[in-house]
Amino acid sequence: MPRRHLPYILFTALVAAAGLLVTNTYHFQVLIFIGINTLLALGLNLLMGYAGQISLGHAAFYGLGAYTSGVLTAHWQVSPWLALPAALVLAAGVAWVVGLPTLRLSGYYLGMGTLGFGMIIFIVFREWASLTGGASGLVGIPPLSLGPLPLYDPRAYFFLVWIIVLAAMVLSRRLIDSRVGRALRAIHDSENAARAVGVNTHGYKLQVFVYSAVLAALAGFLYAHFICFISPGSFGFMVSVRLVTMVVIGGMASIWGAVFGAALLTLLPEWLHAFADFEMIVYGLILITVMIFMPQGLTRGLIDAYLRFKRQPAQPVSPASP
Amino acid sequence: MPICDSSDNRPNPSPLLHLEQVSKAFGGVRALTEISFEVAPGEIQGLIGPNGAGKTTLFNLVSGALKPDTGGIRFDGMPIQGRPSHELVALGIARTFQNVELFGSMSVLENVLVGRHVRTRCGFWGALTRHAAVRKEEREARQKALELLAFVGLADQADSPSRDLPFGWQRLLEIARALASEPRVLLLDEPAAGLNRVESDRLGDLIGRIRDQGVTILMVEHDMGLTMRVCDRIVVLDRGRLLTEGTPREIQRHPEVLAAYLGGAPAAG
Ligand SMILES: Nc1ncnc2c1ncn2[C@@H]1O[C@H](COP(=O)(O)OP(=O)(O)OP(=O)(O)O)[C@@H](O)[C@H]1O
Ligand SMILES: [Mg+2]
Repeated sequence: MPRRHLPYILFTALVAAAGLLVTNTYHFQVLIFIGINTLLALGLNLLMGYAGQISLGHAAFYGLGAYTSGVLTAHWQVSPWLALPAALVLAAGVAWVVGLPTLRLSGYYLGMGTLGFGMIIFIVFREWASLTGGASGLVGIPPLSLGPLPLYDPRAYFFLVWIIVLAAMVLSRRLIDSRVGRALRAIHDSENAARAVGVNTHGYKLQVFVYSAVLAALAGFLYAHFICFISPGSFGFMVSVRLVTMVVIGGMASIWGAVFGAALLTLLPEWLHAFADFEMIVYGLILITVMIFMPQGLTRGLIDAYLRFKRQPAQPVSPASP
Repeated sequence: MPICDSSDNRPNPSPLLHLEQVSKAFGGVRALTEISFEVAPGEIQGLIGPNGAGKTTLFNLVSGALKPDTGGIRFDGMPIQGRPSHELVALGIARTFQNVELFGSMSVLENVLVGRHVRTRCGFWGALTRHAAVRKEEREARQKALELLAFVGLADQADSPSRDLPFGWQRLLEIARALASEPRVLLLDEPAAGLNRVESDRLGDLIGRIRDQGVTILMVEHDMGLTMRVCDRIVVLDRGRLLTEGTPREIQRHPEVLAAYLGGAPAAG
């Protein structure tokens, strides 16, 4: 058993223990949301942290997954398990069409492009009322069941979500460690050099964009069939900003950072109800603070701080050797 | 095989690289004007000229980073002007950069593995499923990358972060990364810049060994000692125009070269 598998095995054990030991419905709900947000952060982290491409409209893909499955199942009684592939394919297709021109842009322009896309999709959710229920939301989305096995029990849903999350973590790890992942990291380090060694940079950016959109749509599917009600507000600009915050706080280019960032930003609003009206400001402050003091993200920052702390007592600060 | 044996009368049957009336301007700056020359297979060809002569621009055109305004570039007889870099690397054209451009966050070995990109095929599905063929390809790529690191003398640095390497080694790593794509022609942009005497001598040997593997080399270099020692032929650019070409001996005696080169540029060689 290679040592690099150890964290995953421990984490799986932790998830299993939580699933068996937790009894409180509210706690399950929070853990399920952490799982859903982890899926979102994972895809976005691949895009931002590894490939170095920003998306300020990622909530749109989350929404596309939720609404596609929601509309198909609520209006036309399609089985959720048939609606799921439809949602993923639609999100992938939209990502491809949107990414084709926008990923040729760089930096701020890519940010603006994806921001505009997110707003358009948000408006579609809100205004296409005959299909989406408009601003008041879409009701009548059925809960999931697996054959005869109902999954609306929070414990069962917890396991469904987290099995998917763990699978996505392992798959993303594989991606990063492969030829494809190396090409993505190369693009991040030097797009110029990546092109010069034969990486079709635009093609790879497009692929990872589609991958992250598919993960987001999957998260949207899990969200829609958990709450059984969706409204445009869950997929607006604020949500995209929160996703970016998760990635930055957890740490770019880190799978564990995605988990950590997702957990923190799911729990934070629960703890900070009083700040609800200032959400944007709080995220802004968090982003600025982390960027200034821990540019590698909180995960890396805390590890570094711990290592410094461990080293300090044993070894007094020595003057720099010449 | 002696590196310095210079040419007889070349019948030049089929050049590997052939530039025909190539021009490139940036706004008002005419970086290259109607450049034509050939590179014969198996040769080490030098490309020299004062600062701003257009040498790097020429590399950018041949490697597909830029498109020529007019003119044609043929590789092994095939027109390649305007094709994207990643296709040209797959055809067998590799390059290094004047200001070393490594993938700083990656290890030395990983840099070379990225260099193998066009000789490996694992795609998204392969990466996710990691089936037997993918694992085999990955093993072979690693093997090949380690061989290349040994070839340039960096075998024991495989796992170091590439950004921590001393500058001279970074240059070697960039060459290994370029070789990983199994090029037929290698474009080296000032490979000796920033190297000390010893390093630059070793580089000369390395360039000879690369040619002995059957790779044709086109090399920009300001270090005249090195250029004269390793090159079979030399092309001289000056302010975007082709001044002359010939063997190192001919170039050294050429009055216009002496004037343009030593007159225009800060100390060379
Ligand atoms: N991307 C660009 N945009 C605008 N001008 C450029 C660009 N690249 C090169 N130039 C200009 O083209 C001319 C040739 O530049 P180039 O870099 O090819 O010279 P060089 O021979 O490589 O010089 P050096 O020895 O200093 O590396 C210069 O005047 C340079 O300023
Ligand atoms: Mg140059």
